[in-house]
Amino acid sequence: MEITELKAELERLHSASFGWALSCCRRDRSEAEEVLQTVYVKILEGKARFGGESSLKTWLFAVIRKTAATEYRRRLLRSLRLTGEAEDSNEQLAAHETQSATFERSEIQEHFQKALKSLPRRQREALHLVFYEDLSLREAADVMGVSIGSARQHYERGKKRLRESLATMELGYGLNWGRSEHPSAV
Amino acid sequence: MDLIGDDQSIRALFSELKFVDETTAPGFTATWHRAQARSLQPRRAFKLSFAAATALLVLGLVTMAIWSNRSKPAANVSAYATVPASKDFKATVSKKESQPVDKQENRTSEATAVKVRRSGSVASRRAIEMAGTRKVFNDAKTIESWQSPTASLLSSPSDDLFKSLPQLNENANGMKSFLPGRANDKEK
Repeated sequence: MEITELKAELERLHSASFGWALSCCRRDRSEAEEVLQTVYVKILEGKARFGGESSLKTWLFAVIRKTAATEYRRRLLRSLRLTGEAEDSNEQLAAHETQSATFERSEIQEHFQKALKSLPRRQREALHLVFYEDLSLREAADVMGVSIGSARQHYERGKKRLRESLATMELGYGLNWGRSEHPSAV
Repeated sequence: MDLIGDDQSIRALFSELKFVDETTAPGFTATWHRAQARSLQPRRAFKLSFAAATALLVLGLVTMAIWSNRSKPAANVSAYATVPASKDFKATVSKKESQPVDKQENRTSEATAVKVRRSGSVASRRAIEMAGTRKVFNDAKTIESWQSPTASLLSSPSDDLFKSLPQLNENANGMKSFLPGRANDKEK
């Protein structure tokens, strides 16, 4: 695939990529932007090459996921080395929290995001890929680098836990998160 | 994938989140240009840890070079002191057979040391090399002539019997002499 063609595809997938990067970076906007930029650098430098084994979206998401994990480890090490920097990052995080709070308009959304954050990483990823990115479980498994059975398990457990945490938050916005009303649901 | 009941609610929440993210996502062109600038930017060649490691390596190498240069003359002197050197090679060999090794080595080493001190560097080196060769030759000779101290214990009066074989054209009585004692007794 030529670079111009690839660029057009990346542009088309940009907002979805950013959403996925946000999810991988625990909704830290600056980190997500940094990760996405690093991914583009990797593509430009040829460090990440699309081989055509899977769809471009799956490949791109897998690269984003790996890059986010690397960046997270790097940041963690840096914050461990410099405790002062950790304080700064805490301040930054607080700033991002307030910034993102403006975007999260509804209270339901706020509770939902809290519940989502409380989920284990794999479960969160599986839910995000299926519900947010409209990927099939097979594609989600490819992105996560696990088998389809494992991805299905993460997805089911994640859904269950999300429902439970939303139920305990007692949203009461006319939504019932329990499964009792949907006995046919599998 | 079937979306039943709460699945639809979860999807609704996710799509709301997606909408928020899309409105606040940074522009592709800006991100792409920044990435391009980053990829074109030359890599920082100087890294503190790398520089420190290189400096340590260079320091180590220099120290080793200096140390080896300084320790060389001492090694040469010791070599001169131990190598035997005499003008007449055959004479040395014949002496070696008659005299004890230690005495001869001492004498030759003293002679070599004196010789090395007096002669020029090239000549002395040649002399040292020659002396070294001679020493090796002498050692080889000594090893060749060495005999085990227990070799005499292996000899016995019946050695001739074991070492000789009966001839095929010998007569029967002669052949029987090689048979064990009992058989011989029966004959008698």
